[in-house]
Amino acid sequence: MIASVRRFYEEAKLSHKGRSAAFAAEEFVLYEIGYPLVTMIFYCLLASFSFRTNDLSRWVIGNSFLLCTNACVFGTGRVFASERYNGRLRSIIASPCSKYGVILSNGVFPVFFASCAALLGMITGALVFQTDFSGINMGLVALAGLCAMCSATAFGLLLASLCLMTDSMHLILNIAAYLLMLFTGAEFPVSQLPLPGRVIAMMMPLTKSIRATHLLLDGEDGSFFPLIGAELLTAFAFSLASLVVLRVAERAARKNGRFDLF
Amino acid sequence: MNLRLLCSTVRLQMKQSFSRPMFRFTLIAGPVLNTILLYEMFLSSGEENFFSYVVLGAGLMGIWGCICFSSAGDINRERYMGTLALIFAAPAPFRKTILGKIIGNTLLSLLTFLVSLLTAVILFGVKVRIAEPSHFLVAFAVTIVSFISISSVIACVLTLSRKTELYMNLLELPIALLCGFVFPLELLPPFIRVISYALSPTWAVRLLRRSVEGGTEPSLFFRELLITLVLSAVYALLSLLLYRLIEKHVRIRATLDVA
Repeated sequence: MIASVRRFYEEAKLSHKGRSAAFAAEEFVLYEIGYPLVTMIFYCLLASFSFRTNDLSRWVIGNSFLLCTNACVFGTGRVFASERYNGRLRSIIASPCSKYGVILSNGVFPVFFASCAALLGMITGALVFQTDFSGINMGLVALAGLCAMCSATAFGLLLASLCLMTDSMHLILNIAAYLLMLFTGAEFPVSQLPLPGRVIAMMMPLTKSIRATHLLLDGEDGSFFPLIGAELLTAFAFSLASLVVLRVAERAARKNGRFDLF
Repeated sequence: MNLRLLCSTVRLQMKQSFSRPMFRFTLIAGPVLNTILLYEMFLSSGEENFFSYVVLGAGLMGIWGCICFSSAGDINRERYMGTLALIFAAPAPFRKTILGKIIGNTLLSLLTFLVSLLTAVILFGVKVRIAEPSHFLVAFAVTIVSFISISSVIACVLTLSRKTELYMNLLELPIALLCGFVFPLELLPPFIRVISYALSPTWAVRLLRRSVEGGTEPSLFFRELLITLVLSAVYALLSLLLYRLIEKHVRIRATLDVA
C-alpha cells in the first residue's frame, strides 16, 4: 500500500518536473497563477458590464471554481496526448500498470496549482471587486469546490480515454472548456438556456456545486447538501463511463495497434 | 520577386493553418461558442445593439486567438519541423516570409467575424445594425493593418524564444482585456488604461465600435484613425528594427534552432 502511494507520488513528481523543467520559476508562476487570475478578472469585468452589476461575488466564486475544474479536466484529459507526444504511450498501454493511476498522478500538481490559483482568485476578487464573503460559510464553499473538482476530474478521465481513439485532444479539451463556461452557470444563469441546454447543464460537472454556492450567497442553504450529493453522483457516473470507455478504447488500440497513428 | 514571395507564402500559410485542427477550432468552433457565451451574458444587459459587443467581441477574440495560436506559434512550428534555419538562411528575406505568414493568418482569421455574425443571426436572430457603413469599412481595413503590425512585433520577439507555446497562451486574454474587445476600457483602472492606449488594436476596436454605434463626430473618428495608423507604423518600424537586431544576433550565435 505504502509502495503504491510512493509510486503514485513519484509519478506525479516526475510528470510535474517534465512539465515545468523548461520554464524559469517566474514563468511557471505566471502561467500557473498569473494567467488564471487574469482570466478570472477578464470574465468578472465582462460580467460587471454585461449584467450591469457591482456585486460580482457570484462570478468571483464561479470563475474560481471554473479555474479549478478546468485544471482537473485539462490536467487529466491531456495525459495520454502528452504521453503520445513523448513516445511513451505504447509502453503505458502495453504495461500491466493501472492506466487510471497514470492519469490521476499526472493531474495531481496541475490541480494543486489550480487550487492555489482559485484561492488567490477569490482573495483577489474580494480585494479588486470588493466582494463581501463575510456572511458566507467558507467551509461549505470549499466543500462545494472539492466536489466540483471530483466531478471535473471524472469528466477529465472520460476525455482522457477518448485520446486512445483520436489525435485531436486539443480540440476536444478546448471545446470542453467552453462547454463548462456555457453550461455550468459560472458566467450566466442556467435558467436562461433553452430546455435541451438545461438538460445538458444538469449532466455537466460543476453545475450543481455552483448552484449550491449561489444558494449560500443568497442565504438559502436548505438545498445545499442535496445539490452536493447530486454533484458527487455526477462524479460517480462520469467515473463509471470513463471506466467503460477506457476499457473499450484500450482494447481497440491494442487490437488495431494504432496508438500513435490515425 | 518580393510580391510573388509574399503571395505564395500567404497562400501556403492559409493551407497549412487550415489543415491544423486547433486552428480550425479557433477559426470556427471558438467564435461560435464565444458568440453564444457573449449573447447569453448580454441578454439581460438592456443592450439593444448586440452587434456591437456580441458579434464584434466574438469576432475580435476569434481573430486575436488565431493570431496568438498561429502567427505567434508559427516560428515555433517551423523550429519543431526543422525548417526555421532554412527559411532564415534562404535568399528570400526572412522578415518578408514571416510577414507573408502573418498576412495569410490574419486574412484567414477574418472568417471569425463571418462565423460569429452567422451564429448570432441564425441562432439568436440578432439584427445587423451598422450606423456608419462607410466608416465601418475603413475601420475594418485599419483593424486588419493594426493586427498585422502587432503580430509582426510579437512574432519577431518570439523568434528568439523556445517557450513560444507559453507566451502565446499568456497573450490571448490579457490583450483582449487591455484592448476592450468585449467591454469598454472605462472599466479598467486609469493606470492600466495607459498600457491599453499604447496598443494599436485598442484604437481599432474603438473605431469599429464607433462606426457600429454611430453618433460620433467625424473629427474624433479621423483623429482615432490617425492614432491607429501612427501606432501601426511605429510597430512596423519596431519589428523591422527587431528583425535586423535578431538577424545579427542569430548569425553571430548560430542558435536559431535551439534558441
